[in-house]
Amino acid sequence: MIEFKGICKAYVTGGQRVDALNGVDGHIQRGEMVALCGPSGSGKSTLLNILGLLDMDYRGQINIDGQPYPTEQIAAARFRRQSLGFVFQRFNLVPVMTALENVAYPLMLNQCSKQEQQTRAQDMLERVGLGDYVHHRPDNLSGGQQQRVAIARALIHNPSLVIADEPTASLDSHTANLVIDIMKELGHEMGTTFIVATHDPRMAQRCDRVIELIDGKLAPQAATTEAISWAS
Amino acid sequence: MGKLTQRMSTFLLPTSMRLAWLNLLRNGRRSLLSVLIIAIAVFALTSAGGYGLYTYESLRESTARDTGHLTLSTPGYFEQDEDMPLSNGLDNVQALTKSIIGDSDVRGVQPRVYFSGLVSNGSKSTIFMGTGVNEREFDMKGPFLDVRSGQTLSDVKSPRYDSQEPQVMLGTDLARNLKVAVGDWVTLLATTSDGALNAFDFKVQGIYSTGVPELDKRQLYVHITTAQELLASGKVSTLSVFLFETSKTSTVQQRIQIALERNSASQSDQGTEIEITPWQDRAFFYTKVKDLYDRIFGIMGAVMALVVFVSLFNTMTMSVTERTREIGTLSALGSYPSEIVAGFLKEAGLLAVIGSAIGALVSGLVSLLLLVVDIQMPPPPGRTEGYPLNIYFSLELVGYATLGVLTICLLAAYFSARKGVNKPITEALVYV
Repeated sequence: MIEFKGICKAYVTGGQRVDALNGVDGHIQRGEMVALCGPSGSGKSTLLNILGLLDMDYRGQINIDGQPYPTEQIAAARFRRQSLGFVFQRFNLVPVMTALENVAYPLMLNQCSKQEQQTRAQDMLERVGLGDYVHHRPDNLSGGQQQRVAIARALIHNPSLVIADEPTASLDSHTANLVIDIMKELGHEMGTTFIVATHDPRMAQRCDRVIELIDGKLAPQAATTEAISWAS
Repeated sequence: MGKLTQRMSTFLLPTSMRLAWLNLLRNGRRSLLSVLIIAIAVFALTSAGGYGLYTYESLRESTARDTGHLTLSTPGYFEQDEDMPLSNGLDNVQALTKSIIGDSDVRGVQPRVYFSGLVSNGSKSTIFMGTGVNEREFDMKGPFLDVRSGQTLSDVKSPRYDSQEPQVMLGTDLARNLKVAVGDWVTLLATTSDGALNAFDFKVQGIYSTGVPELDKRQLYVHITTAQELLASGKVSTLSVFLFETSKTSTVQQRIQIALERNSASQSDQGTEIEITPWQDRAFFYTKVKDLYDRIFGIMGAVMALVVFVSLFNTMTMSVTERTREIGTLSALGSYPSEIVAGFLKEAGLLAVIGSAIGALVSGLVSLLLLVVDIQMPPPPGRTEGYPLNIYFSLELVGYATLGVLTICLLAAYFSARKGVNKPITEALVYV
């Protein structure tokens, strides 16, 4: 379970202090898929970055399975490679690597053997329906295929938490539905927690729960429920 | 630089190096330019260095063959003038020679008598600097003595040698000044070892050039026995020890030193003390040229290093900037900054190795070409003769140049990549 308490984050832009997050609390159960919704500037990307340990300059406390989040850069990198997965809006695959190598990358970081990397990456690509594309480079794959490779990469090392930032924003609706299905299916199957920042109502609708942020604060439960009903 | 090289790289390189190679191919033109700059730098360094090595070796051999690799003399012989000719000379030369000639690295031991006086053609006189040598001296000098006309001194034991016609070899300018040619006679006037004047007539056997105008104006060679007769002394000025390999000079010097000390200790008569001077201590021209060239090549190397650094820094900075989002992604996935930097270092390393290999190859080809094509260099300052342009291809030099270029490339890549990995991940991920 992930718990976060009193998360505060402020930026200074143009000499003005902006409170991006202002004491956000919450918890997410293991295996849950949570949509993080809110208008632009509400702080959802900021919260996502903090929960993904991409931004460590915040106040507040985050625990995962009872353990506090690391606060030191190298420890954070180690934590990310072992326990976190990421899916980005623009896929962010490494262009010189094949689909197989992209998927195997987290295993390589975790010192798995070459054989294990190959086997598990091949298996994961087959699970996302890309068994025939293992040796394709990203520029030879469609947007939907690239995002599926990215999902496979995010899940290959069985992370506790996958952070997904607008994973369907660059996809057409058919492909977006396919990607959502894969994320949900694999997430439940592998017991992986997903936090998905999205503007896409289809995505939010398919999540187990929606957390809405407004002006750097959690919206009241009613608003969250409303958001779900809006999404549905 | 297309699919073929990509496929080849899959089989030939380990994954990390293959990815570095593929990253370089992402902007092939830029990588090619960097490789060319590195290749030109390595070519320039190895060629200039090879030219320097050739010059050093030529001067080294020339000096060693002129003075001998080692010179045995009385202590301080080269520091102060003699009161009388041969007053500081060596006695008992036969025994000394015998104790040295047995060394397997010694090619020959040649006695010399240095003297000076007046040389005259009967109507005109001028100062000379004479050297009494035996005929084998010219074998030791090899190609470093340029006989312009006539021959070198004959063997005094040869039946063809006429003791009534002592021979002399004159420097070209000295012969020109005296208006004499081969077969003409000159008179040498010198002070004997006890201060009297003595004069002998000599027949001109040969005319030679040392390549140094000042020497050609004054220098002459006569047989050592004749020189000793002229100076009325049985001593010699020095003993020149010629070796098969110049590189063994210091080793042989130590051995001879030990042998001389042993001989001296075993004899009740302690005899004269002997000083051994290696050729380097008498090679003033060599030392000055080497100092000058070392500085020129040092500056050239520094300029090349700067060019390579700026070029590589530019290439790697552009590469890092273009791949900022990728760096952000790799960081987000948990790569340590050092791992990301290592990737860029591998790319720079590949550029350096490929560029160095090409530079070394071109340098080798040019070196071979110069063996076939005769390009003459103008005479160096203070010399009359030019010399053929040659470039030594030295693997050691290539190794040093490659190592230097590699270090510079790695440094450039490190500074560029460090800037990239220090960018906050959240900023890097949204970088366009």
